[in-house]
Amino acid sequence: MIFNSLTFLVFFALVLALHNAPFFSWHQKKINLLLASYLFYAAWNPPFVILLWVSTVVDWWAAQWMVRAKRERTRKIWMITSVVVNIGMLGYFKYGGFLLDNFVALASSAGIAYHPPKWDIILPVGISFYTFATLSYTLDVYLRRAKPAQHFLDYALFVTFFPHLVAGPIMRPTELVPQFASTRRATPHQLYFGLSLMILGLFQKVVLADGFLSPVVEKVYDAHEGVPMALDAWVATLAFSGQIFCDFAGYSTTAIGVAMCLGFAMPDNFRFPYAAVGFSDFWRRWHITLSSWLRDYLYIPLGGNRHGPARTYTALMGTMLLGGLWHGAAWTFVVWGGLHGTYLAVERWLRGRFAGWKPGPLAFLALGLLTYVLVNITWVFFRAKTFGGAATMLRSMAGLADKPIPMIALLPMVYAMLIISAIVGTHWWMRDKTLEIAVERTPSWLVGSLLAVMAVMILSEQGKGSAFIYFQF
Amino acid sequence: MPSSTSSSDQAPKGIVQREGALPAGLRRTASDRPGEAQPVPTRDIPKQPWGRIIIGVAAALVSAAVALEVNARERIGLHAGDLDNSEIAWSDEKLRAAGAPAAIVGDSRILFDTDLDRFEQLTGVRPIQLAIHGTSALTLLETMADDPDFKGVLIVGLADTMFFQPFDGYGGYVKKWHEYRAPYRIVSNQIDHALQRRIAFLDSNYRLSVLAHRLDRDFRPGVEGPMDDIWKLQEVGEHRATHLWDRVEYDPAWRARTRWAWKGFKEKFPFTPQLIAKGQARAKAAVDKIRARGGEVVFIRPPSAPQLRVNEEAQVPKAKGWDVLVSNTHSIGVHIDDLPAARGLTLLEWSHLSRKCATVFTDAYVRRLSALTPRLPLRADAPPPLSTEDCVAGHGASS
Repeated sequence: MIFNSLTFLVFFALVLALHNAPFFSWHQKKINLLLASYLFYAAWNPPFVILLWVSTVVDWWAAQWMVRAKRERTRKIWMITSVVVNIGMLGYFKYGGFLLDNFVALASSAGIAYHPPKWDIILPVGISFYTFATLSYTLDVYLRRAKPAQHFLDYALFVTFFPHLVAGPIMRPTELVPQFASTRRATPHQLYFGLSLMILGLFQKVVLADGFLSPVVEKVYDAHEGVPMALDAWVATLAFSGQIFCDFAGYSTTAIGVAMCLGFAMPDNFRFPYAAVGFSDFWRRWHITLSSWLRDYLYIPLGGNRHGPARTYTALMGTMLLGGLWHGAAWTFVVWGGLHGTYLAVERWLRGRFAGWKPGPLAFLALGLLTYVLVNITWVFFRAKTFGGAATMLRSMAGLADKPIPMIALLPMVYAMLIISAIVGTHWWMRDKTLEIAVERTPSWLVGSLLAVMAVMILSEQGKGSAFIYFQF
Repeated sequence: MPSSTSSSDQAPKGIVQREGALPAGLRRTASDRPGEAQPVPTRDIPKQPWGRIIIGVAAALVSAAVALEVNARERIGLHAGDLDNSEIAWSDEKLRAAGAPAAIVGDSRILFDTDLDRFEQLTGVRPIQLAIHGTSALTLLETMADDPDFKGVLIVGLADTMFFQPFDGYGGYVKKWHEYRAPYRIVSNQIDHALQRRIAFLDSNYRLSVLAHRLDRDFRPGVEGPMDDIWKLQEVGEHRATHLWDRVEYDPAWRARTRWAWKGFKEKFPFTPQLIAKGQARAKAAVDKIRARGGEVVFIRPPSAPQLRVNEEAQVPKAKGWDVLVSNTHSIGVHIDDLPAARGLTLLEWSHLSRKCATVFTDAYVRRLSALTPRLPLRADAPPPLSTEDCVAGHGASS
């Protein structure tokens, strides 16, 4: 189920009540959480719970046998078993159709007419997220970064814990499993602050992303006829930058709030990314748990920066291309990743070339704005459904469109730009702060008023919205 | 040393800490710890009077809910019991249609203009309402043709232009209706409807963002803004029983706005002979499919005001659209032109009947159907026929 649904409201109230019930032992409460998490996942498509079980059981035993193995080769075999099973499931459900389509296209270009049956497989929601979470368990054990969990229940709950299950933050076992060792119950202040985070997250998702930004994006990116004017193309792309941030960061914030209400801590997933100066900075701020996962389990094993520039650039580009593909089985996502890889490579080269240079305040700001603009260029490939669509948008953004037409009405455009300005401005203001620091330094009447306004706006938006964009990944 | 995944780490309290090279007030994240086991995260609680803040937020929410409800009922004219007509609500009815003796598909005209209660009073059968506003009846006809479980009478209500248009329209989602059957959606819809039976302001037409967008009075030349959209027009009851919103009846400004939004039904694309022929062929195939398994299909053409009819006729003439459709599919057809009992009904915004007149129109077309097909016989205790006089008083007829 999704956080912005009435079902979740009822579900969460029941989970909270059970978790705080005095008559359950901690062991029973963990079983309750596990069952609730399966229910949460089954609310999309019950049979897919089996995938969760497969992933859980395979990785549990792979780690157990890895530890018991006497020889390094045996350890490796168990690690590879885990990787093959997890990536195999991900590949079958997420990339099967994509691979088949490309194979057909390749065969066709070679003059072979191949017409396979349609690949009609439904993508299990969140499979990319929990596959990465559970893979990090066996990989950490294999790399001897972590000991395996002592109790199967704790491990199963780590995999399925509903706040992070379908859209992250992608948690590592060392972050969550220890939290299950002893009784966790939110203090009143944790509960209230957790609820406040949920209000903030849902405000971002329901009001900003779905209510005000999404219609502007759809008007241009989903237009059936006509080519947008430069203004419309830019506004729609900037609006998408806000929409995807509010959608995904809204989810993460809500998830962190939900976990906090239950007494658990989840890691930051965003750190005001639109105030990034440079792309390595951007990736330290955007989807932190994914970028660090890719760094730890892909970039570093590929050689990282330890084997000379050529290997470093290859590892960088390979990581970002695969990171792009992780987001979706389409070449547009690969290009999105490739653009980020290129940005990172160029930045790395420039940093080496101008090693001693320190930007002044104005140059710093200009570099920040340049980063934001270049990130927006990549969003075009992320949002457009085809390369044709992306090319049309880029032409329009460059002012080279043939017979462009206006597409966005004035007021929706004004709303979108006000929201984007507020987001970017807030990110710069919060650049070197945490949310908690800012909240602590704000007068309580203002904190209360802002929360009240956000809650009332969620109510006025009737609390409903579409599914989170990242569920499809 | 490997980090343990089996010990309990206590999160430190307090916020303002300097973590390594990070600026004061920032905490480390996974991005600051490359190639390491990530420790249990720290989540700080800002020092604030959270209890008082949450009470204040709750009070604001309750006050806002009361204000929104009063505004919805007193100023906007919304009613409790007006349910969202969502994809999931449609799919609920689609499931009920399996094995049902009768179902209705079509666009908003047959949706608004059919009184399901009257239908049931006359025949003892309560048809499943599957019509969707802004949707080609042809799309829905084909969807029902693809459902092997439906073997009843399918009543296809159509507006000629919408029937033959080259796209599905608003209800294109019916082609993948199974995707809306996720358990959480079903439960959410049930909760949603339970609330809407008691609360009036829960109407998707009056969401904050929708209202904010409607403030745009086509300020930007060349852009079709929200003013060009169709605003709230219907009220939906249980099982998608739908009728024209009563505000259209009592608010001349609202009525005028809706008329303006129709833009005379002057479509932007040409209804070429090929387009119409393609529609006829699709309809024939779908009807044959339903009949092959024992079902039946009948066509209904509800009324539209002369201001719209003239343009509809210019684009899809009755002789080329309706007449060919009925003869080509060998179907029973009840056209408003052939239904004297339903002439002169009130079409307040030119395209749909008032609630009372929908009852009269239903009475007229169901009686005609009963005469034409043995599959929908009139009950012995059916109420007496209605006439135009039963609904037009106080409104004035359409023409």
